[in-house]
Amino acid sequence: MPSKSATKKAKPDKPGLSEEILLGLYINIVKTRTTDERLRKLFRQGRFAGTYFSAVGQEATTVGPTYGLRKDDIIAPSHREIGAAITKGIPLEKIFAQVYARSNSPDKGKSHPCHYGDRELGVIHPSSTVASQAVIGTGCAMGFQIQKKDNVVLAFFGEGGTSRGGWHEALNFAGIHKLPIVYICQNNLWAESVPSTKQAGIENFSDRAKAYGFPGETIDGNDLVLVHKRAYEAVRRARAGEGPTLIECRTYRWYGHSEIDPADYRSPDEIEYWKKQDPVVRHEKLLMDLGILTVEKRAAMVEDIDQEIDAAIKICEAAKYVEPEEAYNDVYSEAFPVRRNDNIDV
Amino acid sequence: MKKTSYIEAITETLFEEMERDERVFLIGEDIGVYGGVFKATKGLLDRFGPERVIDSPISEVYIAGGSVGAAMVGMKPVPEIQFADFITPAMDQLIQQAAKMRYRTGGQWTCPMTVRVCCGGDVGGGLYHSQINEQWFFSQPGLIVVMPATPYDAKGLLRSAIRGDDPVIYFEHKRLYRWIKEDLPEEDFTVPIGKAAVRKEGSDLTILSYGLMYHRSLQAAESLDKKGISAEVIDLRTLRPWDMETIMESVKKTSRALLVQEGSKTGGVMAEISATITEEVFDYLDAPITRVCGIDVPAIPFAPPMEHFFLPNADKIVTAATRLMEY
Repeated sequence: MPSKSATKKAKPDKPGLSEEILLGLYINIVKTRTTDERLRKLFRQGRFAGTYFSAVGQEATTVGPTYGLRKDDIIAPSHREIGAAITKGIPLEKIFAQVYARSNSPDKGKSHPCHYGDRELGVIHPSSTVASQAVIGTGCAMGFQIQKKDNVVLAFFGEGGTSRGGWHEALNFAGIHKLPIVYICQNNLWAESVPSTKQAGIENFSDRAKAYGFPGETIDGNDLVLVHKRAYEAVRRARAGEGPTLIECRTYRWYGHSEIDPADYRSPDEIEYWKKQDPVVRHEKLLMDLGILTVEKRAAMVEDIDQEIDAAIKICEAAKYVEPEEAYNDVYSEAFPVRRNDNIDV
Repeated sequence: MKKTSYIEAITETLFEEMERDERVFLIGEDIGVYGGVFKATKGLLDRFGPERVIDSPISEVYIAGGSVGAAMVGMKPVPEIQFADFITPAMDQLIQQAAKMRYRTGGQWTCPMTVRVCCGGDVGGGLYHSQINEQWFFSQPGLIVVMPATPYDAKGLLRSAIRGDDPVIYFEHKRLYRWIKEDLPEEDFTVPIGKAAVRKEGSDLTILSYGLMYHRSLQAAESLDKKGISAEVIDLRTLRPWDMETIMESVKKTSRALLVQEGSKTGGVMAEISATITEEVFDYLDAPITRVCGIDVPAIPFAPPMEHFFLPNADKIVTAATRLMEY
């Protein structure tokens, strides 16, 4: 399955990463999983509006590449990249605030529950236009190159996103100019309801990189250590001016496209197979085998995360919605206030 | 003072702003070695090098979206869309990213950029090199839209756009590139975004237009003077946010409004302005608002008689103004 250039699986007994990194990856993936499952629950309980896009099952593809980036590096995530947002350092309180869309939400309640972002932390708030984050992320990398900075950009998208014209234009440009960017394709086999076989006539989406003159590889996206190591190497290359890389991570989302999607277009056998490839369990087993994680340590960690989540929910549910007139703000810079035309005074 | 054409004003401004601010860079098709198909970027590659004058592949999505990204990390991009006809692929990035970046991020991320778009007819450009589609951007909050009609405004508005903090769609009319020359001051000046210019004062009716149509309107107003009709001529200059105050003051004074627009009539800029005039100053009107616009066909057709048939001109404006006065 993996292309020639793919690295062999890291052996569980010799991950080649320090204990600190292995545990750091673990904390982030557990935080992501726990938060995600709680958010699904809250949505089903009707405690926030809209819908929710769960990333359960594919967390290694976001936590792995993001872990170890510099604060001034930029990530350009999509709606299913809660793991990237958390790993880049967005506190859980802000994650929940975004979902609840109250006065404490970073975007003041304007965008969408899963559009986590933070300029200080270098996280671009996503939009819902698929793969557009690859286009503007490439633009960020172009900016860094003109500025002669050594910052790197990570752009995330699904295999479905690679069908869009803008995605190709961006990667083509990145290849010409050897831009400092790493493209992370999360191939979870389904773009909403359309299987990856209806998305492209090639088996490995990473082959697309060949057309743009930079390396691409397909790897096991549920192996957190492997994903981190391959992405880290790609980031090193990008920072050194050696150009972009496309990494296709094979993974799977356990649930529907969003919480209102029963995902009945997939077979129970397929879901069962992938649940056995759980990236959290796999990493946990590795750490236990290496003796750097114990059942007690894990329980304490999860308890801390649960407490953090409970506190965040409490704050968000106590917060009020912004006044509706907030809708008029942040359209332009202060030079151009929007003239009110809501007809309230008519 | 120096006699300067409209396109020279643009080239000079790009040169000056790039000298003034190292964050300013250009990206577009054929803008580097070739200097642009109309030579608007001539000489800039030699002065500023390929990192700041980027000959892009034929990729309008990236030209627009890449500029958004570069602006987000502190650059001041001035992308060029070679012909307005080819802006459609870039729409996704301009509408979904540029126009909404500040809004969807609670003001955290912004993308100040100036998209130069070469537009307009009366040049024999045919169906795919004459289009004028400012109304698509005019109807999108979050974008600023300007269309200068004179070399002075071409320079002053381009400076304001590049120095500002918002995404600006800067429409430059190709018919005006080498037709109009003007004495321009040597010193630094800007033209404020959002302010119309009353070019000729008058008392009988207000003729409102922009771009090439401003010149047709002025020509018409001179003919009307000879017929004893005193027309006030206003050049809108900025389409979004448009200068309501100046327009309403003028209509209150003249009580008649003639709105002239090069592009197709339905759903155009003047449709919105017409509606606003009736909302705001209906009681002052002595006659129905009249529009002279391009006709409702897919684009400006090629054959010269059809192109002229499509476009408003001074004669059509005079006829409409005369009827308006007879109401």
